[in-house]
Amino acid sequence: MAYRYRLGVDAGGTFTDFVLSVRGGDVRLYKTPSTPQDPTLALKAGLNLISADIGEPVPDIIAACDLCINGTTVGLNALLQHKGAKTGLICTAGHEDSIEIRLGHKEDGYRYDAEYPPAKMLAERYLRVPVRERIVIDGSIHTPMNEADVRAACELFRREKVEAVAISFVWSVMNPVHERRAAEIVAEMLPDVFLSVGSEVYPQVREYTRTSTAVVNAYLGPILEKYVRRIDGYFRELGAQHPVRYFQSNGGLAEGQVLSARAVYAINSGPASAPQAGLYLTEPMGQRNVITVDMGGTSFDITLTYQGATNVTRNMDFLRYRIGVPMIQVESLGAGGGSIAWIDDFGLLNVGPQSAGAVPGPACYGKGGTAPTVSDANIMLGYLSPDGLLGGTFGLDRKAAEKAIKDKIATPLGLSVERAAHGIFTIVNTNMVNGIRRVSVEKGFDPRDFVLVGAGGATAAHITSLAREIGIKRVLIPKLASGFCAFGQIIADVKHNYLATRPMRLEADAPVEDIEARFNKLEQHARAQLHGDGFKDRDIKLIRSMDMRYAGQVHECTVDIATFKIDAKSIEKVKTAFHAKHQQLFTYSEPNSLVEIVNLEVQAVGKMPKPTPPATPKGSRNPPAAASRGTRKLVLEASGRSTVTPIYDGSKLKAGNKIKGPAVIEEPTTTILITPGWVAELDEHATYILNDVA
Amino acid sequence: MAKTASKPAKKPAPKQVAAKKPVARKAAKPVVVDPITLSVVRGVLETTQREMTLTLEQTARSSVFNLAHDYSNAIFDHLPEMVIQGQDIPIHLGSLIPAMKTVAKFFGDDIAPGDVIYHNDPAYSGSHIVDCCMYKPVFYDGELAFWTVCKGHVTDIGGPVPAGYNPNATEIYAEGLRIPPVKLWDKGKRREDVINFMLTNMRARSDQEGDLNAQFGACTVGERNLIALLDKYGMPTVRACIEELKRMADRHMRSLIASVQDGVYHGSAVVEDAGHGFGDLEIKATVTIIGDTCNIAISSPPQIPYFINSYAGNSMSGVYLGLMMFAQVPPPYNEGLYRCVTTDLGPMGTLCNAREPAPHVNCTTTPMETLTDAVRLAFEQAAPERVLASWGHANGLNVAGKNPRRNGDDYVTMVLATIISGAGATSKLDGWHACGPLCCFGALTSGDVELLEYSYPVVIHRYGLMTDSGGAGYFRGGSGTAWEVEPIGHDMTAIMFGEGRRIPAMGAAGAVSVYTDRKVGRLEVNRGGVREVVTKNSIITIKPGERVTNMNPGGGGYGNPKQRPIEAVLRDVRDRIVSIEAARDEYGVIIDPATARVDMAATHKLRGAA
Repeated sequence: MAYRYRLGVDAGGTFTDFVLSVRGGDVRLYKTPSTPQDPTLALKAGLNLISADIGEPVPDIIAACDLCINGTTVGLNALLQHKGAKTGLICTAGHEDSIEIRLGHKEDGYRYDAEYPPAKMLAERYLRVPVRERIVIDGSIHTPMNEADVRAACELFRREKVEAVAISFVWSVMNPVHERRAAEIVAEMLPDVFLSVGSEVYPQVREYTRTSTAVVNAYLGPILEKYVRRIDGYFRELGAQHPVRYFQSNGGLAEGQVLSARAVYAINSGPASAPQAGLYLTEPMGQRNVITVDMGGTSFDITLTYQGATNVTRNMDFLRYRIGVPMIQVESLGAGGGSIAWIDDFGLLNVGPQSAGAVPGPACYGKGGTAPTVSDANIMLGYLSPDGLLGGTFGLDRKAAEKAIKDKIATPLGLSVERAAHGIFTIVNTNMVNGIRRVSVEKGFDPRDFVLVGAGGATAAHITSLAREIGIKRVLIPKLASGFCAFGQIIADVKHNYLATRPMRLEADAPVEDIEARFNKLEQHARAQLHGDGFKDRDIKLIRSMDMRYAGQVHECTVDIATFKIDAKSIEKVKTAFHAKHQQLFTYSEPNSLVEIVNLEVQAVGKMPKPTPPATPKGSRNPPAAASRGTRKLVLEASGRSTVTPIYDGSKLKAGNKIKGPAVIEEPTTTILITPGWVAELDEHATYILNDVA
Repeated sequence: MAKTASKPAKKPAPKQVAAKKPVARKAAKPVVVDPITLSVVRGVLETTQREMTLTLEQTARSSVFNLAHDYSNAIFDHLPEMVIQGQDIPIHLGSLIPAMKTVAKFFGDDIAPGDVIYHNDPAYSGSHIVDCCMYKPVFYDGELAFWTVCKGHVTDIGGPVPAGYNPNATEIYAEGLRIPPVKLWDKGKRREDVINFMLTNMRARSDQEGDLNAQFGACTVGERNLIALLDKYGMPTVRACIEELKRMADRHMRSLIASVQDGVYHGSAVVEDAGHGFGDLEIKATVTIIGDTCNIAISSPPQIPYFINSYAGNSMSGVYLGLMMFAQVPPPYNEGLYRCVTTDLGPMGTLCNAREPAPHVNCTTTPMETLTDAVRLAFEQAAPERVLASWGHANGLNVAGKNPRRNGDDYVTMVLATIISGAGATSKLDGWHACGPLCCFGALTSGDVELLEYSYPVVIHRYGLMTDSGGAGYFRGGSGTAWEVEPIGHDMTAIMFGEGRRIPAMGAAGAVSVYTDRKVGRLEVNRGGVREVVTKNSIITIKPGERVTNMNPGGGGYGNPKQRPIEAVLRDVRDRIVSIEAARDEYGVIIDPATARVDMAATHKLRGAA
């Protein structure tokens, strides 16, 4: 049976986006307010919108979907608001504090801050129970496990009504026997608790990272379990033919039960689909170097993909918690339409990271906000229509914006409102450019080699300025920009990561066949899982990678390698790949130095058929007269001088139409500012291509 | 003259800022800087400093650089005054300023594009000889515009003891290689002869060479970004912006100082005799506040033939850290902050203003942390509500031996996990656990237990917090840490340094502790069940099957512990951060061990009596 639809649902903090791809090429975006207390309410509202729009009952639509895909922020929100499960930790005696010591470091930026608190403990100290046991580096048992200690821990957890238990022992990656036995005891004594075992969740070297990852996984597990049960049930009742797939922060899909067992993979899934959506747009143009930027109300998210491979973080702090498992690297900063402009102790203008949020929101929302924000500046500069957003259904109060900027910024700095507004625009752009530098320049990539893809509702007013500042010559903005992540999810593949460790110095007689054996084992697991998911071998792709470094270094770099048999001869190829990677990242390599392997990983991808891209009717070079919305005065210069600028209605533009900057294109869910020197063209797949022709 | 102590007023920024005098040679009239450009220039400087730091961290070979973050990067202007420094190690905060000036003066006009200068000598305002610093002048249109500067702690600097900490040295000559300012690159040409001369004197040569390259990379990345900045805005505007940024910092610090009542304030702290036999040594600080200016004067006893003397450059860091504990200024930092502050380190030849040939390698922790305490105590007299309690001092361990897993090769390392002490409480918060020592203020990073066991032939049996180690107070001091290790298959040499084994970290605003012996550091050796406590710096051999535990002091408390909320004490007892007996004797809270409940009546009675 040929399915007619694919549905992606991205439940964000404020809005839930629905993207419906129709077989044959139409892609539609719908938005409803999120309902975190009961996510099925937003689902219901969104499905009703879709049903009304296409004139088909909801169950018929669902039954005709080959996949329903859900992106969720429940994990993120639980971690952000510290509303996860009550969590206990069973750990090696003497090491119960590693997640509280956090390697002894206080985050930069707060060195002399007397009011910056330590990170809140997800497993409090009295619920971190030491167990007498010790495995050492070669996997041998230094001290056998004291089972009575494990049982005592369970008694405590029962008394304290603990909902989730993490188990993490030192060197369990070299020999998980103690962790497994402890897990058996916990499962027997506390059958209802969620269990998270270090050597299963993150089987790689680094005790602190592994313990922290296992604890975060436990903390979120029960929350995800409950959520998945609800969503799965809802779609099943509507007659869904397939299990719902969930989007993970590794950039791939997984079924609900897999996701809830590995809840830590759900942590930052929202923005993690942007790279795939970006590649989907750029690959037909022969471009595989993509930076995506997504500016919403409060934050600005950046991802980078080089030659089709997206930057991935491992062993990084996320919301102050160390997470080992691979996540698509998303650099987030507090720069959005709602970011507040303020003057600091030194008398300098700053923008963000504080945000006016959705309530009261920017002053121009007219909901009582008095703080000047980026949106207020944009309306004063003429970039946003005074008629409001969402096709005029959401009005904006220009007077309130003017007053906020005048009182809080312009008057104290002795500037005109226009100059102050342009200052806010410039500063927030500088912040965003510095963020882009962090994922590009600081990782050894030259941003000039990339295409910039704009996502999110607020981005398009800033994007040509950002591109100019960092030297990017081509920018893409899909009409679906404000639902970009939901779109990314419907084109995603199923993805699982399988991790292992095998520290080894690659000396002449190193037992490298061991590496091959470990990879084989991981790959067996991977195939079995994907076969179970219904994938045939031809749709399965396995990617091997190793974390490697020069002996004596502590930072590894991850080297992707093709799948070939690793032996004494082929290991030289691996070394060569490592030297090349080191050169790329750090500008030099040491071909004569001893190399060591630390961790291994297999990424397993189950390829999904891709929906057809949306189509735009063709037109000529010049936009049709009906697309004109007249002109508006825009402030495009720091001096505050204004320029009469043509305004276009994006919904009336045709493929092939070219528009020279300065100009503004108003789409229902985003506004594109084309600054002087840029030319925009709408392509046949509903994407604007902006080129710097200056 | 008494002023009203009010909160520092936020001063509106001037409308349009004209540089005080034309700074660029060619500019005939003042350059007008608008506040927007100023913010953008500040952002570029911050990003540039950050990219320098990242380059260093990612490419360095020695763990002290890439794991412990024991380095600092800064940018100076042509004067040379510090334009920006990162949030790196506070012990480098002050010393870079005099060091840069000394180096620039040493070469005078003999500076050309492509030069790179290296230096570590405390007699030329360096901190200690293991901190090696690189300076790269940045020219623009033939004119000196900036210096990019990168300082880091190298793992070895030659001399008789690996890693440089030689407790037996009576002179600096017996500590390691002194490097007075010297050019390593001359007009862009790498001076292989000089570099070879230098590296030949160091152990683990390839590591040292790798770190040198990493420093060069950091300075060059900084130079590249600064030239792009100058290309965009031009020299006159950039210079005017920098001068204005310094003036803003100056105004900010002045407003903080002006908020304190005029007067002369005293602080004093003792460096305990940690094994040298010269007795306890008292360091005094006198802070004189007049209007919006402040003078910090230090007096200390004569220098001693033991490695805890501090030369002037290093002592400046101690003074500035004490000042920052009062000022709590957020980043970024530039030299303008210190314009209203004058300093007197006392006569040459004293502990805190040492003269050649005083031995000094331990100086960045001892006596600098005590010097910092003295300064912060003087400020506590001036502004108790702003001051932070003292942090635990560094009481650390270096370990060395022959690694049986690596064919008996020598290994040696400073164990950073052994100096992670407790932070002091503030007027708002309990002190952070495991965040010290004082001289690093949270900037260090200790290694993962598995990574350490992979690199060195040891089993780490404990790296955890210690009950009752945080100073008692309304806000409790952070807990110190214990690090317990057993060597595998070889005899391990454990080398002790630092202090903080008898005198606990001082509290603030009336904090008092009863169980002071639990707040301090010590070393415990366990041989077949026989426990030996060591409090004097010693070198000890540990055999397989034996264990050694290094314990670090906790941080000081803030305010009266008898007023600490009862539920906070109960939570600490529940979490084994505070024992039941300390809850009673330090906090006046009586908890029944059987039920873990507070006896409210007895508690109120006890607290009422206090």
